[in-house]
Amino acid sequence: MSTALAKLTTIDRRWIFLLIGLGTLIPILIPIGFPVTITPPVQSIYDKIETLGENDVVVLSYDYGPTTAAENEPMADAIIRHCFLRKVKVVALALYPLGGLTAVNGSVTRVSAEFPGLQYGVDYVNLGYKDGGQASMKLLAEDFSKAFPGDTNGTPLSTLPLMQKVTGARNAQLAVSIATGVIGEWWANLINAQYGLPVAVGCTAVSAPKYYAYLEAGQMLGLIGGLKGASEYEQLLLNGYPQTKTIYSNPMLQTASKGMDVQTIDHLIIIGFIVLGNIAYFAGRRAKQA
Amino acid sequence: MFLRLRLPLLLTLLAGLIPIIAFFFKDDATFIKKPNSWLEQDMVIVSGFALLLGVVNVVQSNVRKIERREKGWLFAAVLLFGMFFMGIFGAAGAMRLGGLPGIGNYPNGTPTPFAWGSVYMFTPLQSTMFALLAFYIASAAFRAFRVRNLEATILLVAAVFVMLGRIPVGEGAFGSVTEWMMQVPNGAAQRGIIIGAALGAASLSLRVILGIERSYLGLEKSE
Amino acid sequence: MEHFDASRLNALVLFIVFCVLVLTFIGRARAGGDLFIRKIAGLNAIDEAVGRATELGKKVLYVPGIQSIDENQTIASLAVLSHVAKMTARYGTELDVPNKDPLTFASARETVREAYMQAGRPDLYNEGIVHYVTYDQFAYTAAVSGTMVRERPAANFLIGSFFAESLLLAETGQASGAIQIAGTAEVAQLPFFVCACDYTLIGEELYAAGAYLSREPSMLGSIKGQDWTKAAVALAILLGVIFESVHIFPAFKQWISIN
Repeated sequence: MSTALAKLTTIDRRWIFLLIGLGTLIPILIPIGFPVTITPPVQSIYDKIETLGENDVVVLSYDYGPTTAAENEPMADAIIRHCFLRKVKVVALALYPLGGLTAVNGSVTRVSAEFPGLQYGVDYVNLGYKDGGQASMKLLAEDFSKAFPGDTNGTPLSTLPLMQKVTGARNAQLAVSIATGVIGEWWANLINAQYGLPVAVGCTAVSAPKYYAYLEAGQMLGLIGGLKGASEYEQLLLNGYPQTKTIYSNPMLQTASKGMDVQTIDHLIIIGFIVLGNIAYFAGRRAKQA
Repeated sequence: MFLRLRLPLLLTLLAGLIPIIAFFFKDDATFIKKPNSWLEQDMVIVSGFALLLGVVNVVQSNVRKIERREKGWLFAAVLLFGMFFMGIFGAAGAMRLGGLPGIGNYPNGTPTPFAWGSVYMFTPLQSTMFALLAFYIASAAFRAFRVRNLEATILLVAAVFVMLGRIPVGEGAFGSVTEWMMQVPNGAAQRGIIIGAALGAASLSLRVILGIERSYLGLEKSE
Repeated sequence: MEHFDASRLNALVLFIVFCVLVLTFIGRARAGGDLFIRKIAGLNAIDEAVGRATELGKKVLYVPGIQSIDENQTIASLAVLSHVAKMTARYGTELDVPNKDPLTFASARETVREAYMQAGRPDLYNEGIVHYVTYDQFAYTAAVSGTMVRERPAANFLIGSFFAESLLLAETGQASGAIQIAGTAEVAQLPFFVCACDYTLIGEELYAAGAYLSREPSMLGSIKGQDWTKAAVALAILLGVIFESVHIFPAFKQWISIN
């Protein structure tokens, strides 16, 4: 018995892959709809945007690409939707190479379509992507036009009314970076530390532990960690703005709340394998002793 | 000797010192803020040109592979096709050549060739690569999380608590423990590593600025 | 001095303390002072990894991270690459260095070429050792994973700045049976490397690698200076915790706060 169990330690990892594949596919096809509980790091971002109004500006940086879109896109959409609901002005941009073409264009187009009363150039601007990482970030903190001579369509910033209102990111009331990798850290390290602008970050779950250090140090006012955080923000919007129910109940929209079904099942499968691995490990030790 | 050794070290010294000095001065200190801003803009330009160097190398090495019919030469052909397809249509779109409106969509909503390649080829391939993480995390967790000793047991218990605390079915029982673990023990450990790494990075920067560390230039200390 | 930003005086003081300590220890090291640096298992294992590749007649794969040369982790990685390249040159072992960033690629090429010259084997160097792959993170990951699966290197070095690709590379390498030495200061990626690699350089160990491997006194001196600065920072944190807990010296907190 012990020897048979011990063999599980050398199980072909394709069996693990198969179960994870099924655990991902089935909840997408048959949504379960688990409930969501709000955590303080997400609540504080929501609360901050609740204090802003139509005279305020939020810089929303789409610092992710298609790779992490499944995690980042629902949080980016939720933040810009919240800003538009409160008529807060939005300057959208991307510091991640593919963020310009896919993330920022997609999100701004998708969410602005829900608010036909908003006017491009007056209520929101899409600056597109800028290469150069931290160097570009420093430039746009001082003066957007130094980093972005024109918006994503090449329109000079001087002709856009919103860009007359806010010359650099440091003049905004909040910066939110929806980030994969290190770019969210740059916003905390450079923009918050050097200019004092409140910074919030939405990151992938894998990066979240790192961002807690910045959150606790006060360099970030809030954190949306992975799908879980994004689903919390969606829930906050649903609670605060009941009109968003029509958006989030669209069966074709892949929301974070639906993604949490997949995450739940996959976590349980992984925990199951960890337990199985340990049973096999102890069985192997017993077989060796015998 | 001057071009190979002294000039690069002198440029490194200047490029390293200017941002440090600029940090300690107010915005109106144009004597240092201007050169600093110039350096930041230059970095963007240099990194853009450096990409050309990489493209030349990719073409050289893959053409060689195809010519010699080396193992996997077909992959090299696909790579070159993809690079030239996206490169040509991307550049033409950016310069508004051949009736292209840019690198996005035409006014009627149909995608330009670059946008088509990006949205229908590149994006799904990217998402697929990232999605592999879910599978690899499961196999790595299965192999690594064993009750071998006290440290490994703590790691295992913490991992299981966080995994349960981050999903709705375990949130009620483990949610607050998870939040505490993320903020207190995790935060403390992360800060320890971040402070140590930051000082290590600062020490390395100082060695680079002073010309003690030269391996990135392909130079030894004795040179 | 009206242009000086007084709110950053605290940072200036720390900067001066740091520089003085580092330069003092560099001076002492150059004067022949004895400096103890603890053993770093991951760096000691480099010989074992290259040796194993040599015995098996397989290649050594060196991945210098995915960031550019303006990232300190990349510079630290190139110092390790120089050491590894000297060993592969000496033993006549095949070396493969795929690159994601073009500036890192140019520097890595210089580093490896020089290492082969210094090892006295310029004949073994060819331009194909260090090559460019792509600027895209996951296309690069796919290419390197493909190399691991098809060519099965005996030793994989994953040293530098890594992000989401860390586990993809480390797990693929683990499945291919290679001995793996990783090193990064990206804290979110460290658990993956620890799980899937044989040795991992954690944070500052990576930055110390160049000094540790070269045994150059002035480099080792800077590590010592860095350690003393860390002790000073730890003391400041401890004092801050005590002062805040018993509500004394509020000026200390105000002065030390980031501005």
